[in-house]
Amino acid sequence: MPPLDKKIKKFLKDSVRIAPKISSKGELTELRTGLVSPYPQTRKDAIKKTIQQMTVGKDVSSLFPDVLKNIATNDVEQKKLVYLYVMNYAETHPELCILAVNTFVTDSEDPNPLIRCMAVRTMSMIRVDKILDYLETPLRRTLQDDNPYVRKTAVICVAKVFQLDKQLCLNLGVLTDLVSALEDPNPVVVANTIASLTEIYAMDSTVINLNDLIQSHVSKFLLALNECTEWARITILTVLSKYSAKDSIEAQDIIDRVTAHLQHVNPAVVLATVKVIIINLDLTKPQINDPVMKKLSSAMISIMSTPPEIQFIALKNIRIILEKYPELLTKETRIFFVKFNDPLYVKLEKIEILVRLVDASNIKQCTILLNELKEYTREFEPEFVSKAIQALSQLAIKYSKESFCNKVLDILLELLERQDTFKDDCCIAISNLLRHCPTSTQMVTQACGLLNTWVEPELILNRDEAKCNYVWLLGQYPDKFSSLEERILGFVENFRQEDPLTQTAVLATIVRLHTRLPGTILQTILELATKETIVIDIRDMAMMYWRCLSIPGGDELVQQLCNTAPPAIDNILDTFPPEILKKLIQELATISSITFRPQATNAKKYVRPETVVKGKKLDELKNIAKNEIVKNDEVLLDFGDDATEENNKNTTTLDDLDDLFNFGTVLPKESNSGTNLESDFNKLGINGGRQDTNTTSTSTTTQDLMDLF
Amino acid sequence: MVSSISFCDSKGKQLLSRKYRDDIPLTAIDNFATLLMKLEEESSVVPPCLTHNGIHYLFIQHNDLYIVALTTSLSTNASQVFTFLHKLVEVMSEYLKDVEEESIRDNFVIIYELLDEMMDYGIPQITETKMLKQYITQKSFKLVKAAKKKRNAARPPQALTNSVSWRPEGIKYKKNEAFLDIVESINMLMTQQGQVLRSEIIGEVKVRSRLSGMPDLKLGINDKGIFSKYLESTSSNSNSNDDNSNEVNSSKSSTPQPSTGQDEGSSRKTSNVELEDLKFHQCVRLSKFENEKIITFIPPDGNFELMSYRLTTPIKPLIWCDVNIHVHSKSRVEIHCRAKAQIKKKSIANNVEILIPVPDDADTPSFRYSHGSIKWVPEKNAILWKIRSFAGGKEYSMAAQLGLPSIDDNEKPKLKRPVQIKFQIPYFTTSGIQVRYLKVNEPKLQYKSYPWVRYITQSGDDYTIRLNG
Repeated sequence: MPPLDKKIKKFLKDSVRIAPKISSKGELTELRTGLVSPYPQTRKDAIKKTIQQMTVGKDVSSLFPDVLKNIATNDVEQKKLVYLYVMNYAETHPELCILAVNTFVTDSEDPNPLIRCMAVRTMSMIRVDKILDYLETPLRRTLQDDNPYVRKTAVICVAKVFQLDKQLCLNLGVLTDLVSALEDPNPVVVANTIASLTEIYAMDSTVINLNDLIQSHVSKFLLALNECTEWARITILTVLSKYSAKDSIEAQDIIDRVTAHLQHVNPAVVLATVKVIIINLDLTKPQINDPVMKKLSSAMISIMSTPPEIQFIALKNIRIILEKYPELLTKETRIFFVKFNDPLYVKLEKIEILVRLVDASNIKQCTILLNELKEYTREFEPEFVSKAIQALSQLAIKYSKESFCNKVLDILLELLERQDTFKDDCCIAISNLLRHCPTSTQMVTQACGLLNTWVEPELILNRDEAKCNYVWLLGQYPDKFSSLEERILGFVENFRQEDPLTQTAVLATIVRLHTRLPGTILQTILELATKETIVIDIRDMAMMYWRCLSIPGGDELVQQLCNTAPPAIDNILDTFPPEILKKLIQELATISSITFRPQATNAKKYVRPETVVKGKKLDELKNIAKNEIVKNDEVLLDFGDDATEENNKNTTTLDDLDDLFNFGTVLPKESNSGTNLESDFNKLGINGGRQDTNTTSTSTTTQDLMDLF
Repeated sequence: MVSSISFCDSKGKQLLSRKYRDDIPLTAIDNFATLLMKLEEESSVVPPCLTHNGIHYLFIQHNDLYIVALTTSLSTNASQVFTFLHKLVEVMSEYLKDVEEESIRDNFVIIYELLDEMMDYGIPQITETKMLKQYITQKSFKLVKAAKKKRNAARPPQALTNSVSWRPEGIKYKKNEAFLDIVESINMLMTQQGQVLRSEIIGEVKVRSRLSGMPDLKLGINDKGIFSKYLESTSSNSNSNDDNSNEVNSSKSSTPQPSTGQDEGSSRKTSNVELEDLKFHQCVRLSKFENEKIITFIPPDGNFELMSYRLTTPIKPLIWCDVNIHVHSKSRVEIHCRAKAQIKKKSIANNVEILIPVPDDADTPSFRYSHGSIKWVPEKNAILWKIRSFAGGKEYSMAAQLGLPSIDDNEKPKLKRPVQIKFQIPYFTTSGIQVRYLKVNEPKLQYKSYPWVRYITQSGDDYTIRLNG
């Protein structure tokens, strides 16, 4: 026992804090003084301040040596702060890092598991080769630690080291240790091990055989599932969803074992469970009234009372699942009714789900939804209203009865009379309805009656899609419009500014109506379309028409071509092509399931350039650091561009097709009509010089299909 | 998996961040503010997941903060990330009380510590506040080399990686008590005519546990009408919802029938009631419930939500308002409202608040009313009628008049917002759920314990009357 006065002296010394002085030498000098102060509390304050500067983005790397002096401390909090600093700036001072190595190694043997963890966790984050050289012993030791808390950290460190220096990791042979950690008695360690293995596999699929490991450990995973933290459960469930069951009995067994997790309070656990079940349902082929289907429905509904971001993911996922199992959730439409305080992005998704969910054979349900959607069209958020308008037409066409379509038409017309803002959407929706019920003269008269009141439609309408539909209506029902010539002339005058869809529509409509219109309009449009447009397809189309019209008996030919009745549309809901759907099901709950873009199977492997910083001179290092950042940028840029561009292309062509024909299911129909068209052409004997262009590229065919209008 | 987590202020500028892996440039977060701004300019649809240059920004909002997770991989489990971000805020609010820009700046040390412990290499680890508080404390601890003062050193509790990862050992109370709160929130959407468009009951069983040792609890609920229905096979249930929708549809009477809670509860047992989804805290043995239908658990210490459930049976409005709004354009708007408590005579609804929207440009309000208090809330463009205590079967009414500017902008003032109602009814559950018993068994200590149960029904966040457009 030290004497009292000594104790007091020590206490005073420990707690002395030197008030920061306003010094003329600047902040850094001041911090430096603090960091080397003889008083511990003052040093700690200075460290805190340094970290604070680092947090706000100032470069305090020049203090590295002084901060490092404080690493050997007994104060856990201070140690954490110094570690944090070292982790951030080690690359700029690789030479000095060696000073910290000793502390790291000592700390990895500390009796306190928290310190052991911290040491190995920090070491494996530092991209400096000297540190990595010393990592072997601590990493091995912690992998075999008595304390599961340490082991669960160590297994993740293996993935970190692998990312930093793959070769080193292989040389050390820690991967074998990692694989054997799958046998660990502690479920949390098992979960982290599998997470770590998954990461390594994503970086390089040649070093381990993940699939085999999963196959051989399924029973282990199923056992661990009931005994670990919620996050570990997600990891394990995710791995289980990668497992392919041998037969329906095993699949059923897996389903039975995981089903209880549908009742977990954590929505991510629920979604992960849903995924496992959905994937295994492929083998068990359950009946609609199988209890598991019921449980799936109610689990997904339960996510509707979670935070909006998670609802958003669930809604996107439900859209995917519904395409595979449309019978799920059909009784539950009301849950997806929009709440007035939902964020807009949730509202829009809910509408998407509602129209897909509604049972087309249930008049009551359809009517309720109709009234609900009608209510939505009175809201004030424009995006929401236009989605509701779209949904109304989708619902009408799904339910299919003419009287129902008529009701929807009434709603749309009423809306148009009340408001000016949604002409675009209404115009598209109305055209769709008319395409669905081409025989209903009453609807045609009503709709065109209102559209006829619009003056200068080319200026009222904004979207390409809407204009194109309007022009199509002009061509389809020319008798219903007054001053037809004037209307068309308006579009012709604007021709140069229009987008391709409208241009095509204008061209096709004028050719179609050329007998009713003065010849000059035809002449003008053919000239415009051949000379003034940059879209090759439109030019080709115009050329073709021009030739047809100029050959003897051409008028008849063109009439024949133009007056083919367009096929009635019976579904305007987008669906996924089967192979995309299959992939999306595999990727439920991930980001790709929100964007509806499955990861390309042969996507660029996770490539990282050599990143470990070797001990070099300071200037060189700075350059390396700079280059690193630039390089990183480039890699990321490349990756992003490749992936998105490709996908964009696909989707835009699909979208275009969609817009043009208002088909929901694009693929089969496209090919059908495509071939029809070709044979038409053959019949008509105009397969002259143009045919090559017509049939080779899809987009050309697409445009040509417009002829059908 | 997550590459880094950043806290950003209301403009998207970074306040603090923690990097978990090296695959993104440090500058990536700087794009977030611009991305957000661009998106907001284009439209009002701002989804919580943005992508730029191959980096995905997943974010949530809390007070004046954006909490952003950055990741590069499309295979990142988005639901996990969002759940984690919400959990992070929850944990932080237990440390900092209010999580906002100010408190982030003031507490970066503790936040770094939490971020370090809750996530490793982008994989969520430990998010139980009770456990974190055992070894991440506000005060700093001194490590002592010798094991003498072992108690002072912050160590990860043993239980952390056990199968009971939410409860430390060695908890002691003088008096062992467990409090159960059964809270039912009613969400309901009605038309002005009194037709119920949608109704649901969201129930929560909250527990405050003050029990020593490692107690094993068993909860019994009047499960006859509730759980058994849920667990039975679906054939009988599959029709029920259809029936329900019929019922709702036909009940178009403008004055809905009063409903008494207990009757509701007892009749439910025979009619088609269905607990749509039960959700349990992670302490509940799920497989035991799945197989034997018994709720057993070792509770965390202190407050937690044991379970939640939802019922979508059609219910009659508990508090009903007959609202009539007349807009005389160019001069004034007149509002008449008749509120009725359609609950048992014995029951009392407390803190009833009725929020009625008025046009944005209304002014000079005048009110006439018999009960409660009314005020105009210009920032919400509404008037708020408060009634502290509203006995069952009673009916109150009010009238209000507000002036409108005489300048006419050709458009009729629109009242798109619904009437919102809030209330609390103690000693009453709408579903009729009741706790039969709560058995506490601590094998080692064998103490006597006192369970307490409370019931309350309240309005949910969406108890609204839609006004005709």
